[in-house]
Amino acid sequence: MVEAGAWWTLLAAPGLLVVLAALAVAGNAVLDARDAGRLVGVAGAVRPFLGVPRALVAQPRRLPAQDRLLWRTGVVTVPVAAVLSTLVVPFGGRVVADPSVGVVWFNAMEVLTWAGLWLAGWGPDAAFSLIGGYRFLAQGLAYELPLMFALISAATGAESLRVGDIAAAQDGLWYAVWMPLAFAAYLAGVLAFSFLGPFAYPAGRDLAGGVLGEVSGADRLLLQAGRWLWLASGAAMAVPLFLGGGAGPGLPSWAWSLVKTLLVLGLLVWVARRLPVVRADRYVEFAWVVLIPLTIVQALVPALVNLHR
Amino acid sequence: MDLTGLTLRVAAARPHVLLAAVPGGTAVRLAAERLLRARDWPRASTPAQADLLLVAGPDLPELRTPLERLWRDMPAPRARVHARTADEVEDALNAGRALLGPPAVRHASAAPPADAGGHREGDHGARERHEGDDQTPGHDGHGDHRGHGGHGGHSGGQTEMPGGLPMAGQGADRDGLTLDQLHLPLGPLLADWPAGLTVRLVLQGDVVQRVDVDEPARPIDDAAAEAFWVQPWLRAASGEPVPVGEAVRRRAAAHLDSLGRLLAVAGWPAEAVRAWRLRDDLLSGAPRAAVAPRLERFTRRVGRSRTLAWLTRGIGVVTAQKAREAGVGGPAARAGGDVTSRYRQWLADIRRDLPRLEDPAPLDVAVEDSPRGPWSAEHPPSAALIALLPRLLEGTELAAARLVVASLDPDPDELVSRGVVEVARG
Repeated sequence: MVEAGAWWTLLAAPGLLVVLAALAVAGNAVLDARDAGRLVGVAGAVRPFLGVPRALVAQPRRLPAQDRLLWRTGVVTVPVAAVLSTLVVPFGGRVVADPSVGVVWFNAMEVLTWAGLWLAGWGPDAAFSLIGGYRFLAQGLAYELPLMFALISAATGAESLRVGDIAAAQDGLWYAVWMPLAFAAYLAGVLAFSFLGPFAYPAGRDLAGGVLGEVSGADRLLLQAGRWLWLASGAAMAVPLFLGGGAGPGLPSWAWSLVKTLLVLGLLVWVARRLPVVRADRYVEFAWVVLIPLTIVQALVPALVNLHR
Repeated sequence: MDLTGLTLRVAAARPHVLLAAVPGGTAVRLAAERLLRARDWPRASTPAQADLLLVAGPDLPELRTPLERLWRDMPAPRARVHARTADEVEDALNAGRALLGPPAVRHASAAPPADAGGHREGDHGARERHEGDDQTPGHDGHGDHRGHGGHGGHSGGQTEMPGGLPMAGQGADRDGLTLDQLHLPLGPLLADWPAGLTVRLVLQGDVVQRVDVDEPARPIDDAAAEAFWVQPWLRAASGEPVPVGEAVRRRAAAHLDSLGRLLAVAGWPAEAVRAWRLRDDLLSGAPRAAVAPRLERFTRRVGRSRTLAWLTRGIGVVTAQKAREAGVGGPAARAGGDVTSRYRQWLADIRRDLPRLEDPAPLDVAVEDSPRGPWSAEHPPSAALIALLPRLLEGTELAAARLVVASLDPDPDELVSRGVVEVARG
């Protein structure tokens, strides 16, 4: 079982999330350096973080007909929702809060990103940014339902929406093993709500950056950080949902959580580089015709298993 | 302790560069891209993301206004430099970085070379306001503000519009709905886009309803521009002996440049970087044995990617017959199909050219195609490709429209270069 509510976890959880996100950024930078034929090393890995001081000295942006309040709200929502989502993600034996509806909380925070990115695209009153915003909605229509069925599969298997219960219910056999489809749909969902790699459609190069095209300075930093924080949060959540949480032989449970999270994070960073952007017009078709039926069948499997137990 | 100075110095160590490539400046663009990649200075695709504006290529009066707009939209601290030839790029970038640093560093560093045209503005705290100064909003394709449509029933001046911009007009769309029309120019200085090409779109949602292509911008001084990709053909046509190997190398590099652009537009930056790196290796004269294995791996990975094929299938179909009627030769005509078949044709051409990189036989212009089709100064192949665009783009979505343009990748240099103008004058 997980222990919830220690006061220091409230500081540790966001801190750990930031560290994980930073590791993902550094790892991606190393792979970038390799592809570009630059020297692969620590110096190259930390170079993206020069963007932080750069963002802090940059002038904020003003546009002729911007909707400043909504723009800022959207930009802030993305990283804040990512941090809030980790409140229910257990790490080893610890978690900030373990409510009976933990899975729903995580999902609700993720859906907040919809509003956040849409507003971030709408706010500057610029065509490419606006198109980027509604691209995310189209993408959301495609990824959200398979993702929810994946979450439901795990919850059905454990007969609980409490994340701690789900991790504990995988005693001996990980859900990733007997619900591989749900696991795959979940990982695709993680890339989609962090709008990275094949799901970078709202921030596409063909839109000169889309939702990221008009933001500069601290706003840009927040939105970019939001992407990587979401990736880290999604990777961390995959561990209790599908990989048995902190359970494992030999090592303490926090170490197992860390190892598993890093492996999932590494896998996501690698996959994100291996695929071109999947445009929503093609992905919606695939998602509704293939993925949704498959994930529904997948959710049926644990339901039937539990009924006959 | 000078915290701001320190921050500025740290930030200037990795400036984000907005590379504004001007027609006739391909060689400069290539030098800049190579250097930026080696230094890990990221490319920005909009002014909002950029610290340093690098203008690559000759002076073009028609592009002064769009360049000015890019510059105005960049947030401070910012710097602007101009490299007219490939040799000036390194100095220009160094000057740009010095301009971005804190004032102390700026004084200590050498003054920017006159030709590099260093220009810094907006010290910390100097804030410009954009409000109201913008009757024609937009930064030329770099994420244009919502265009003002044909304002049908709206009588301007009676109600105050947000930011003084007119509201979008409406028009019937292809499904019989009445939707807002956005007027969105792509180009002339858009990232991953043929330099100087301007395509004016009328969008409803993100579906392209109408397409107009502008005449490409021309340099005042013809001597300044050169068509880099067809240079061996121009030289051979003027009687100079050119080895086939050089032309073939140039052609393979041109295809890799186009592929990189297509992959960037398709959202596959990791492979785009690989393509550009191979392109630069070929252009720097790397021997065949050094590039062949990597080229082989690259063509295999991209050519066999089912995802990329699935994403580009059925878009921008140009049958072989249609291509012939439009006067298009070269890879686009030989592919005779959609975006998928066109990029696969490029890959096949590169593989076919690979064994001939060191062929010393003299180039015969009539036998070897230039990168975009059989070379003819009167009818440069890119002119035919550009003429294809309006018909192909109408009715597509914006993302597909960009893929179509990238898969044809016309080279405006061919239309404005010295050689062409001279020959045409006869």
